[in-house]
Amino acid sequence: MEKLRSVLGYIMAVFSCLISAAILPAIATLSEPLITATGLTISPNYSGGEVVQTIDHGAYETHVHRMVFDDILIGERKEGFIQVDWTPLDALPAGIDEEIDADGDGQADFRIEVDTTTKEATLTPYASWVLELEGAYKPKGFFLVRVHLENPSR
Amino acid sequence: MTTLVQTKARSPGMAVWKAVLLMLPAALLSSLTWLGNLMSGEIDPLIVIALVASWLGFTVLFVLMLTTGKTHRYRSIMFILTAIALPLDFIPYMVETYGSMMLTEDVMFSGGASFCPLTMPMVIVPALLKGVVIFPGEILPGTAKGAFSIMFILWVGASLAVGRGWCSWGCFYGGWDELFSRLRKKPLIKHKQIDSRWRYLPFAVLLAIVLLSAITFSPIYCEWLCPFKAVTEFQAPSSALAVVQVTIFALLFIGLVVVLPLLTRRRIQCGLFCPFGAMQSFLNKINIFEVRIDLEKCTQCEKCIRECPTFSLDESSLESGKPLMTCTKCAQCVDTCPQGAIAYHIKGTPLRANSTVAKVLFLYPAYILLMFLGAGSVAAALYRILMLVTTGSMLH
Repeated sequence: MEKLRSVLGYIMAVFSCLISAAILPAIATLSEPLITATGLTISPNYSGGEVVQTIDHGAYETHVHRMVFDDILIGERKEGFIQVDWTPLDALPAGIDEEIDADGDGQADFRIEVDTTTKEATLTPYASWVLELEGAYKPKGFFLVRVHLENPSR
Repeated sequence: MTTLVQTKARSPGMAVWKAVLLMLPAALLSSLTWLGNLMSGEIDPLIVIALVASWLGFTVLFVLMLTTGKTHRYRSIMFILTAIALPLDFIPYMVETYGSMMLTEDVMFSGGASFCPLTMPMVIVPALLKGVVIFPGEILPGTAKGAFSIMFILWVGASLAVGRGWCSWGCFYGGWDELFSRLRKKPLIKHKQIDSRWRYLPFAVLLAIVLLSAITFSPIYCEWLCPFKAVTEFQAPSSALAVVQVTIFALLFIGLVVVLPLLTRRRIQCGLFCPFGAMQSFLNKINIFEVRIDLEKCTQCEKCIRECPTFSLDESSLESGKPLMTCTKCAQCVDTCPQGAIAYHIKGTPLRANSTVAKVLFLYPAYILLMFLGAGSVAAALYRILMLVTTGSMLH
């Protein structure tokens, strides 16, 4: 029994060497398909959540993301946000004025006016659960605003 | 006479030809990484110089490690170089890509923050329960330096190969702690003056950040506590809250990584605070390598307890023959034991089995890990330095 344990120990030790040597090739070849297969995504707190509506303006597009209230593990938060972004940045006009249907019921819930050069934005809420503008940002390649919302289903 | 006996008792080195033979596969394997780089496009002579110099340096240090038997000394050099090299490349990259070391919301909303393995304890629970990664980075490689997919594979592989050995062979931050802990010859605060209960702090921090990150859906340690933001990237102090966050991490870096290691000659951040290290301690249980004390040879001089940089040895270790689960396998005790009573060991094998075989079998995966991470970082840093010398700027 002791000899078997000993042999297994040495086999595992050699296996550890192989694992260590395989890390870099695994990163190069396996990491992408493996992680893609898990379906993991970046938290909507950072990514803005899935795009549920795309409005084509010809030169540029408006992306309306889903409303994000899922900050905690179980259930939904009372308050959250919705992200609206415009892309590509190069093709955006200096001023954008758009009405957004946040909950997908066919009616506009707020109006947003943005100056894409100064990052200034103005929000006009139509629905009572649209609270305020969280901010306007200009990440690489697109322009986005986040609007603070109260969870309409709570 | 005493010196001669002590020298003999310590882990002896191996013949140069054996060391070179052993080094060859690791050297060839690691050379593939930079050969791949060189063959992928137009060759910048500065890159060639940096890659070859870094590869040669690490290879020579590994041979020295094997031939002199001074594992800790040469590991420490590579480990510290790796840590110093990281910001020398990372900070210029941040300036090139985002204009500064600071992460604005613009950068975070486009997934521009770089993952590091330290995020793992925080992202696991939300990833398992909700399928989301709570970090403003990228799942697959893109603009940021480290994507989640890369760090996840690195963490799993390193944990299986060396367990908490990561903290002394793989971590690209720990070298800062080690550097400052080695600057003074004698500690101003002695080992006995530090309450042993502090050793539980990393586990408390781990539990707290795992729970708080799951509840708040944000990487609490990265946002509030990580001292190594001082050498990588940090949130722009654009609000009062962000100013508090920046102040905290700066104070933690000064306290845990610079001042306390200087005063105690211990790796305080690694041994008494780091939650990732605490998590790796549990993974030590599943790793095949360990450090063992031969109680028949041990004279209870307690030199190993006084020297251990991560508080992983205490009186109980000298009774059980095992260090605590927090052992980072740094080899400090192996090198300093006057009786040669401490050695690397493979679980399941007899305690007095050939310790050189166990040592080589551990050093191999550990060195490969250090080589992959360290030599790459050092090469990148060397390249930036060469750029500075030749063009007057570290930026592209």
